[in-house]
Amino acid sequence: MKEADNIAIAIRQIEAGESVSDTEQKVTVVATETIPFGFKIAIREIADGDLIYKYGEPIGKSVGFICAGQLVHVHNIVGVRGRGDL
Amino acid sequence: MNDTFIGYPRENGTVGIRNHVFLLPVQRYMNMVTNKICECVPGTKTVTFTGEMGRPKTDREVISRTLIGLALNPNVHSVLLIGIKRNHGYEEMRLEFMRDAIASSGKRTEVLYLAEEEGFYNILGKGIKIAREMVLEASRVFRQPFGLDTLSIAVKCGLSDATSGIAGNPVVGRVFDKIVTAGGTACFSETTEVIGAEHILVKKACNESVANKILAAVKATEEAALSTGEDIRKTNPIPENIEGGISTLEEKSLGAIVKAGSQPITDVLQYGEQPQAPGLYFIDAWMSSICLPVGFAAFGAQLMIFQMGGAGFPSRHPIMPAHSTGVIMPLMYMTGNPEAYERGSDGIDFCSGEVLQGKMSLETAGGQLLDLILEIASGRLTKVETLKVQDPIEMYVKGPVF
Repeated sequence: MKEADNIAIAIRQIEAGESVSDTEQKVTVVATETIPFGFKIAIREIADGDLIYKYGEPIGKSVGFICAGQLVHVHNIVGVRGRGDL
Repeated sequence: MNDTFIGYPRENGTVGIRNHVFLLPVQRYMNMVTNKICECVPGTKTVTFTGEMGRPKTDREVISRTLIGLALNPNVHSVLLIGIKRNHGYEEMRLEFMRDAIASSGKRTEVLYLAEEEGFYNILGKGIKIAREMVLEASRVFRQPFGLDTLSIAVKCGLSDATSGIAGNPVVGRVFDKIVTAGGTACFSETTEVIGAEHILVKKACNESVANKILAAVKATEEAALSTGEDIRKTNPIPENIEGGISTLEEKSLGAIVKAGSQPITDVLQYGEQPQAPGLYFIDAWMSSICLPVGFAAFGAQLMIFQMGGAGFPSRHPIMPAHSTGVIMPLMYMTGNPEAYERGSDGIDFCSGEVLQGKMSLETAGGQLLDLILEIASGRLTKVETLKVQDPIEMYVKGPVF
């Protein structure tokens, strides 16, 4: 994980209510819902329209407010590149 | 540990890891002839290609150089070209043009013309006779020891999921680093999956000209996406990526580019082109499992790694995305997802899942993968090589057609 990251990848399924940390024990967050294996969990609050950072790079932006511990996926973030529909 | 393998020496100094006689149908009509010879004669390989008629010059050039590239691949011992008649057809597709390009490598080439054999039944019999003789001759070439500098390995990442960018692709990157620093050759592609990560990839270009080629390739692909008027997220990422946790194209690309490793990118090539020197190459092309492996084989890669995520992959003993689309270049599968490996182990050769679980370093996993590649290069079969499958192939032709 990089400093700028506001999400983390679940390397195993996380249950709602579970408190989890990253491998270096720098960040701790409580999951507000089930996070399936390989999916993203918000590790801090993300405001509507904020950029989502993974590997220290932007991967898209949020649609609506996301609180820490929530699942982050196609229902609440969008990519911006290659969008012929925009 | 020995970084050597045993392979088939070729006239031009390249080394094959397999030893095929390639039957090359020079016009589409000849697909049937080469296919029937192939059914009769073990040790032969051929393609069934979708034809050259009514295609513009740029697309005919793609088809021509891809067919020539397949024949030039070091896994090919010798080539039988079959055409309609002498000096016939589009300039790029003439048998004589292709034969001369192939023969310049020192490989044995034989030719047959339908008109001179007076028809299908005769050419089939003559073709079988010649192919048998070529296969016997190929069987008299024996494997010799060679080093990493004679390897040429390609990678495609497919069915990507969250493990691809963290436990799968980086392991391939480590292997590519070892091969390229030893003087060998490696290549990667899938231009769509550089969109969102091109600013990182260009830093690895060996000079500004190569950096500009990468940016131009990405720009052209993105413009093509925009011109469709569609939301690219409905096309790429594919449904299996989304089921596997990847949410956006940018996210997929950032995970994908790490498969190239950390060595400088020597050049950007077009689909079907061959490199003029060892090094690391980016091929500007489509990611299709049916199309891209053919392009890698034409590049001259001896083996392609299919780096699979697999979370979106259904059922137990799933069917692999491709088996024989490398034609004369075998495919090997790997994944960084231990659960996908468990489901698909009939078809998957290597799992770097322990990296994901924090139990193994990328270096160690890279070392294990390279060991396996050297065994495969020396004759160990990949799992998909143990199944007789004739996949369709497609070449990267863009149209329009007339």
